[in-house]
Formats: sequence, C-alpha cells, structure tokens
Amino acid sequence: MKKVEELLLDRKKQIEAMEVPLELEDRLTTVLKNKGRKNKKILNRKWLQVAAILLIVFMVSYNFNTLAYYSKKLLGYDNVMNGTLKELNELGRGQVIGESYTFENGITITLDGVMMDEGQLLAFFTVKEPSGALEASEYPSQMHLKGLTRNYRMLYGQGEIIEGENEIKWLMAFEAPRFYEKSLQFKTSLKLEDHWEEASINFTIDRSKAMKPSLKKNINKTFQVEYTTIKVESIVASPTQTIINGRLQSIFQLAKDQMLGERMRPNQVNIKLLANGKEVHNFGAGLTTDLNGMTFENRFDALPTDLHTLEIHLESFSVDRDVEGEVELNKNQDNSNIEVLGKEIKIDGVLEENGNTYVTITTAEDIVLTKVYLIIDGSRVNLKETVAVGYDKLQDGSIVHTRTLNFPSTGEKLQLNIERMSFTEDYNQIIKIPVE
Amino acid sequence: METESLVIKAKKGDKEALVKLIMLKEQEYYKLAYIYMKNKEDSLDAMEDMIILLYDKIHQLKKEEAFYSWSKTILVNCCKKQLKNQKKFVSIDQIKEAFTEGEIEQKEDQLLLDKYLSQLKEQHQEVLKLRYFLDLEYETIASILKIPLGTVKSRLSIGLKKLKESMGGEGYEKG
Repeated sequence: MKKVEELLLDRKKQIEAMEVPLELEDRLTTVLKNKGRKNKKILNRKWLQVAAILLIVFMVSYNFNTLAYYSKKLLGYDNVMNGTLKELNELGRGQVIGESYTFENGITITLDGVMMDEGQLLAFFTVKEPSGALEASEYPSQMHLKGLTRNYRMLYGQGEIIEGENEIKWLMAFEAPRFYEKSLQFKTSLKLEDHWEEASINFTIDRSKAMKPSLKKNINKTFQVEYTTIKVESIVASPTQTIINGRLQSIFQLAKDQMLGERMRPNQVNIKLLANGKEVHNFGAGLTTDLNGMTFENRFDALPTDLHTLEIHLESFSVDRDVEGEVELNKNQDNSNIEVLGKEIKIDGVLEENGNTYVTITTAEDIVLTKVYLIIDGSRVNLKETVAVGYDKLQDGSIVHTRTLNFPSTGEKLQLNIERMSFTEDYNQIIKIPVE
Repeated sequence: METESLVIKAKKGDKEALVKLIMLKEQEYYKLAYIYMKNKEDSLDAMEDMIILLYDKIHQLKKEEAFYSWSKTILVNCCKKQLKNQKKFVSIDQIKEAFTEGEIEQKEDQLLLDKYLSQLKEQHQEVLKLRYFLDLEYETIASILKIPLGTVKSRLSIGLKKLKESMGGEGYEKG
C-alpha cells in the first residue's frame, strides 16, 4: 500500500496533467457579456447542465427502464399526477400531502404526495412558475429530506416539463426514513439574484400508508466462485420494487488480499430474478465497500401478485484482478500472443509514429487491461490513451474487441507489462426461493 | 506590466481585459476551482460566478498588482458557497466512470484518499489540497485564504497528521 505522501503526490500529478477545458474562455466571455441583461442563452445552457446532471445521476442509480416504468404509472400523462395519486391513495398506497412553499421570485414548489416502503420514499412534487418568464434552470432540482437526526439523500429522480403550464412534475426517490421518524422536512434551495433561498415543507409520515413488503426473506446462501465468495443475504419485495442484498468479501478478506498483493476488485454481480419463470425487469445494481466489507444490492421491478415460483440466477461476476503479464514486442513484425490468467491477449501490431508507440491488441469482449504500461529501453512509459478499433464476431459466436494503446515514447527494446485486468466469469448458479 | 495595464482597463469596465487576465493564468484558476469542486462542470460554474463578482467589485481593488491573489480569494469563496449549497445533495461524483485501459489505475487508493480527506475538517482539507495538489507556497495559501502564515502551517501539520492517523488506522503503512 502506498503512503499518504505518495497518494498526495499521485493526486498532484493527476491535477498537473489536467487540462483546462477549451470552453472556459468562451464561458467567461459569455457570462460577462450577458451580465446585467439576463440572456436566455446562458440560462438555457445551464438548464441543459442541470438536465445532464440529473440524467446522469439517474442513469447511475437506475436505468432508463425504471424511468419508463414510473412514467407510465405516474408521470406520463398530462395532469395525471393528482388522479393517479388519489387513486393510489384510495388503494392505501400513497399519502397525499399537498403542501407548498413559494419562493421570493414567485416559484412555487408543491409536495403533492409521497409513497413509502422499506427501501425508499418516493416524493411527487410540482414546481410551478406562474408567469412563465423564468428559465427552467432557475427551478430547484436538488433536494433532500431532513429527519430527526439525519438527512435522507436523494437516490434518483425524473422530471417532466408540462408544456404551456410552466411547471415540472417531479418524482424523486429518497432513502427510506428510519422507523422512528414521524415527521420529515422536504428541503430544497433556489438560487436567486444574489443569494440562495431555502425552502422547507414539513410533512408527517403516515405509517399506515406505508407499503408493506409483500415478501421478505432471508436467504443466506453462499456461492463459492473462483476468486471470492458471493453471499446472497436477503430478498425484500414491496409493491414498487424488489431488492436483493448480498455480500462479497468481508473486510478480513479484503485486508488479506491487500497484504498478499492479490487484490480482487469486483465490478459487478450480474443477477437475474425470475418470477413464475419470467424474468423480472432489472432496475439497476450497486456495489458498496465500507468497513464491513463489500456489499451489493440489485433492484428489480415489483413481483407479480400471483407468485408461484421465484428464482435468483447468479449469472456472472466481473472482477478486476492484479495479474502479472509481460511480453517482449517487436516493431513492424509478427508478435506472439500472451496469456494472462488463461485469457488470451493477441498482439496485432506494434507501430512507431511521431514519437509515440502504438500497440494494437485484441481480446475477448469482456477483458479490459486496467493497468498496463510499456517498458521502453528499460524505462516505464504509462499508457496515454486507448483508441477503439472495433468489435468483431468470430465464427464460434464470441465477440472480440480490438483497440490500439498509445504510449507516448519510442525506443528499441519494448516490453508490454500488464498488472491489472478486469474480466467477466460466467457462473450460472440458481437459488430457488420457496413461496408460500 | 501587462497585468497592471489589463487591471486598469478592467477597472474601467473592459470585459475583454478581465477575461484576458483570467485566461493568462487559466491553469491556476481552473485547478484551484477543481480541487474544491472536484469536477469540470462545477469548476466552470464557480469560475463564472467568480468573474461576475470580479466585474462588480474590481473598482474596489486598490493595488493593481494584488489582482491575482484578490481574485483567487474570490474564486475560493465562490467554490465554498457552491459547495455549501450542494451539501447533502447527490453529487455528480457518484457517476461511475466508464473505464478503459489504465484509467482505474490507483482509483482505489485515490478513493480512500478522497474518503479520508473529506472526513477532515474543511479548514484542514483545503490547506492540504492547496499545498500538496497545487504546490502553493505557504505565503500564497495565507494570502488566498486570508489567514495568518502561522495558521497555514499549523493547519497543514494537523491536517497531515490526522490524515495519516485515519488512513493508518485501517491497514495503511504509516509514512
């Protein structure tokens, strides 16, 4: 492991190597040019950023299908919000709030309702600007819930601009409030001319409206895979979603691997959930490392109401491994291929041009060399960039990926060193969950 | 001096001169914003906020030669203000980067560094970043943050000690 000073130095090097974005001058010029006369162009661009940030946040936490799913149910139709909420409320599935806050500049934010289950709290709210004079960028878009002693973060969100109504309908998911919370504050802030105004809407949680999990089971099944153990711990299904929780490595394993220099960094656990033999839509997955080790969470659509069978399929597991691979390279002639952890890395060509050395390689689709460098005449040259060449389908149906690695130096004696590699292993293990 | 004549022009309301002053040291400004904001978009936003404030306040600047430290102080304040408003919100940092060869090199160590850095008090974090990431002199840090030289030094040594303690606490070799 590196010392603190080395880490700080690494970061310094990264920052030194960082380039100033090309658009800087343009942005500074534009923002000054428009100063004093509120130009729409800037605001539009800012709105795009807000949209981009939201979209990215969303894509990370969940994938687009979630969006479609919720859109259909709650956001997709004009003014459907109230009707659907009311309907859900009648079914005992939501809680209508209907509280508003109006900012100094006239923008009103209304918390229409919330839906809650064990995994999340969904907030439905409307942001309205009565005159329609403001740009979308000036609408608040980031918020959190404040509880008794802690804040609950926003997990993901989606908004729909209702054309002609000067309003945006939002659905945002927050971390589920702890069991002891009775009332919460829905908080956001809005940037006004020279200050930020904070809005706060209080609401009381009606626990009787909270959606009870339709299925909650401890599984505690462990799979031994090649590089670690995967423990599937539990499944919790509510009317809005199904969550499978599990654990990968304990902190002891992590520490041991670190010491042995055989670190294994899982990238993703690919799990499928089958209800009544049909695949349940996957909303997204996440891995977290903390002091208790590494845990994962895979989220799926809600389960069908007439559930007969339920199966978890552990399909594959992607990892990043410390490896030792090295091969001498010859310029402008055939090179031998290398094998690392039984995986072939084909050297297609080595080319020297304009002071750079280009090494073209082909591997199976799932392989990425995550730490690779070239030793040129005894000195180490780091990878500058990877240029994609393309994908190819082989006769046996497997897909290979060809790309060119660019090392910014040249020399006579070349050796390619691979220190880390990520790849996917297929497992195809099945856990059957008894359903009463 | 080019700087001084540009500052004089900027004081008279010459927007181009003001932009030019910043662009002459674009690296320094951008990186200063970046160590606070940690991403490109927020850094650019902070610089936009900064230039507007500079434009409004440049007539208050008495010594032309002090432009750079004065404006950097304003940039730092713009960054802090933005961060304060972002606090508790989902930040863009959570984006999982698409990685290609080499890109996640050191990522894990760096993540740990970020984690422990962010657990320090803000006043310790910032001097550590200014000193170690931007390689700024103690005097420069003191003038940008408007704190005495002695405070810079003590915050640095406390910050580094705390960082080492926290990282050392979990299997890290101590320096």
